[in-house]
Amino acid sequence: MTFQFSQDNLEHIQELKKRYPCVQALNLPLLWMAQYQDGYISLQAIDEISKITTLPPMEIYRVATFYAMFKLEKPEKLLVSVCKTLSCKLCGSDEILQHLESKNVKIEHAECLGSCSTSPVMQINDILYEDLTTQKVDQVLEQLL
Amino acid sequence: MSLIKICVDGEFYEVQEGSLLIDLLIKIQAKVPYFCYHEALGADGNCRMCMVEIEGQKRPQIACDTPVKNGMVVHSQGEKLPIQKIRKDILELELINHPVDCPVCDQAGECSLQDYYMEYGLHNSQMYGLQKVTHKKHIDLGSNVMLDQERCVLCARCTRFTDKITHTHELGIVGRGDKAHISTMPNKKLTNPYAMNVVDLCPVGALTSKDFRFSQRVWFLESIESVCMSCAKNCSIYIDHNKLKYQDEKIYRFRPRKNLEVNGFFICDEGRLSYKNLLENPAKNTFSENAKEVFHHSIAKANKIAVLIDASLFNEEIEMILNFCKKINAQAYCPEHLYIDPSFEDDFLRSKYKVANIKTIQKFRIKNDMPKSFDLLLNFNHPASLDLQSPNIISFQTHNSDLQTLLTLPIATYVQNSGSVTNIDGITQYVPKALFSNDPTPTLKEWFKRLCL
Amino acid sequence: MKDVKLVSKRFHLLNSHTLEVAKANGVYGDALKKAYDLESVEIIQIIKESGLRGKGGGGALAGEKWLLMPQESERENFLVVNCDESEPGTFKDRQIISKDPHLLIEGILITCRAIKAKHAYIYIRGEYKTFQDILQGAVDEAYEDGLLDSCDITIHRGAGAYICGEKSALLESMEGKRGHPRLKPKQKECEWFFDHPTLVNNVETIASIPHILQHGAEAYRSYGTTQSPGSLLFAMSGHVNKRGVYEAEFGTSMWEYIQHFGGGIKNGKKLKAVIPGGASTEVLNAGEVLNAKLDYESMKEMGSALGTGAMIVMDEDTNMVEALKNLLEFYHEESCGQCTPCREGTGWSNKLLAKILSGKGSIQDIDKLLEISDTMNGKTICVFAPALSSVINSFIGKFRDEFEAYNQPSAKGIQ
Repeated sequence: MTFQFSQDNLEHIQELKKRYPCVQALNLPLLWMAQYQDGYISLQAIDEISKITTLPPMEIYRVATFYAMFKLEKPEKLLVSVCKTLSCKLCGSDEILQHLESKNVKIEHAECLGSCSTSPVMQINDILYEDLTTQKVDQVLEQLL
Repeated sequence: MSLIKICVDGEFYEVQEGSLLIDLLIKIQAKVPYFCYHEALGADGNCRMCMVEIEGQKRPQIACDTPVKNGMVVHSQGEKLPIQKIRKDILELELINHPVDCPVCDQAGECSLQDYYMEYGLHNSQMYGLQKVTHKKHIDLGSNVMLDQERCVLCARCTRFTDKITHTHELGIVGRGDKAHISTMPNKKLTNPYAMNVVDLCPVGALTSKDFRFSQRVWFLESIESVCMSCAKNCSIYIDHNKLKYQDEKIYRFRPRKNLEVNGFFICDEGRLSYKNLLENPAKNTFSENAKEVFHHSIAKANKIAVLIDASLFNEEIEMILNFCKKINAQAYCPEHLYIDPSFEDDFLRSKYKVANIKTIQKFRIKNDMPKSFDLLLNFNHPASLDLQSPNIISFQTHNSDLQTLLTLPIATYVQNSGSVTNIDGITQYVPKALFSNDPTPTLKEWFKRLCL
Repeated sequence: MKDVKLVSKRFHLLNSHTLEVAKANGVYGDALKKAYDLESVEIIQIIKESGLRGKGGGGALAGEKWLLMPQESERENFLVVNCDESEPGTFKDRQIISKDPHLLIEGILITCRAIKAKHAYIYIRGEYKTFQDILQGAVDEAYEDGLLDSCDITIHRGAGAYICGEKSALLESMEGKRGHPRLKPKQKECEWFFDHPTLVNNVETIASIPHILQHGAEAYRSYGTTQSPGSLLFAMSGHVNKRGVYEAEFGTSMWEYIQHFGGGIKNGKKLKAVIPGGASTEVLNAGEVLNAKLDYESMKEMGSALGTGAMIVMDEDTNMVEALKNLLEFYHEESCGQCTPCREGTGWSNKLLAKILSGKGSIQDIDKLLEISDTMNGKTICVFAPALSSVINSFIGKFRDEFEAYNQPSAKGIQ
């Protein structure tokens, strides 16, 4: 089973190559592209990225495991990232986390999401849900699940 | 680059301007610990152990990232700064998640963590009631290398080796923070021909040799400087051996020895494991009682004598045989074809000649041919002798073979012998006798004496 | 309280992020025109005279940093704008890129002219995808309008690592590697991106440039203090009534700021503590807050730091031990793991505090925390561990009684 970037992505990659002094800089953008395309980053995707960036597969793999947002396993449930850092904790993130325990989602305890004035917050599929209450959480999950 | 003067612990030294401070500290054997620095791999600056006090700098500096400057004054044990306490504290941090595997770890006795603990540490464990970080243990990485991720201090020497030296990129640090660990990619193994060097590079027992695993405690081993005779590179090695009571000498492993003229810091895996075949299946003596008579009788009877000289013999032995050839008017041969394996050669250490002393053979212009017709063949350990069908062969051999001979005389292997070899680049090294067996086989020199040649 | 809007003047406008609204309200106007009439070195001189300090947390003089870039170079210069904003409590840069991205683009154009760069990268944290889309929209508008003919802008997305906000780690990340901070050079020099001379500046620093060019260095200095001129987008979160980002000049009294913009402490509670500049700065107790001024030198004198100016306000009911635990978890998670003291120290201090919180700790454990903190200070590759060190010291130093209250007299500690 091999991995191929979509045609759109391939065109985008050609564009990106012109914007950096060295093709190795495309490592992060390509990891993102692969994750959006498949839902996670497979070893086959890593091999393909290795070919394009001329970096060895091990280097791509090392980088992918370093960053918290890259997922190397196929997602089984909806991923809900809840900010647990101090500003959110002071404003009730514990309650949200507890409420989510009863839901059929994968909870990620994220560090500061940069939304401290509207805490507690959660992020699902790149979208930030702010000023959370347990009712709002239920509303959001109902739409997504 | 000019020479400059710097002062370390009150003494003055002349060094190349711009060279690393840690190189000097290692050379003068200053008591400065380090994990991640290695002469062949450069500095990484991640272990933070080599910190020293430099006058004029308010914070301690790592010696591996400090180029020397004229007039620099260094206090390697600290004067105003508490360098000793800093070392102790950083060492403590290395130890908190380190499993206490010493009783079952091969590295014990040659482990940097153990040595530094005895020198700078001697702390009691302060992890009472706390869980240590755990990772996978005894992972077989392939190529005879075992990985224990928990023992690793993340000095990154092994990953830098596979990146910068072999360019095979099998190993890497994966994960982040204290969850970081060494790994290969999933389902991939270490497959390069120099893989086992990571075992020497690893300062702790994270990477160990599967070949040496649980074989012997290193404090029972004796090390002798020697040379690997598997190919014409003649990499410098240490032979680690010992002799258990009532048993015979045994070699446990070869390790690379630093020689900047020949192999640098590393050896190939095949050479490293070549100790295994050396003492197995040694040649048995046949007709030892009247060997001298048979020998001289055969020589006297023969009109045309051919002599096969193996390129694994020492310089002195080859010379001795050539002189003998002149004496008995014999033609010397050394066909090279069996030695050559072009696929073995690479651009690092391995030579296509899978025999040690081909340079000397070529220097003496010994015929690169098989002898065609002869009444008597004197074979000095050459493997091509097996291709010759003749009833008149006298053979000196290190190992048993199917060769039909009038007389087979066993000779000592090179580890039980001494002499010099010249490598493919023309560098000559002396190989001392490493093993002293209970029942020693005679060397070629001794046979010449016994046979009165 | 003086109403200062040097960077945030367009935040309240409808569709402030669009080119149309931006242009109609002063962006790409005087400032840009003045910049194109000046030589590169003249622009740098103005920035130097203004005393502008970097707004990413370090507070280093921007002009001095710009001077480290070679004016003549074989390899082209680059600008990298640091939008990795992951410091807990900090959420100011997101306001700029979502509400006035064209201000940032204008700042980039002027900066690139000053350092003779033709390409600017904006490194944006992975979690800011929705704001990145707004910023990308603005960049696309600028391209269409011909504004970016002399200077390309590329947005580079991070992927969830706080340490990539450290400028050398950021550049490592952009080079396609793990975000490991680099060993620091022995003498002051510019940064390097694939061996090209590179300037790394925070979003707000660059966004401050147009105002300085338009109104001059003197005008900028009329705000703030002598050592900390100008303004900052201070942020406020925690137990205040009106959390948010509010611009104010340096030198403002912290307590007045909390009252005026924050509406005071929530639910009528009393103030207990404030972390003044994002989670890497020493906590201030209530007494210190009343005397605190929001500028770099005053904070330093108090034994803390202004950092990113992100105030996390804590009321009288806050459990300081749990608050510290929360921060230690953050540091434990975000350590890159490259060097020993930080990798092991963050883990150990987190576990040790968990032990104290569980009631199984002792006085010796508290002292051990201080020892670990000392080991991590000043001996690592970057300032991540020293920041943690200062946090631990300040929490235990100022609220020790709360830590000791978890002690059981018969608890077994260090033997």
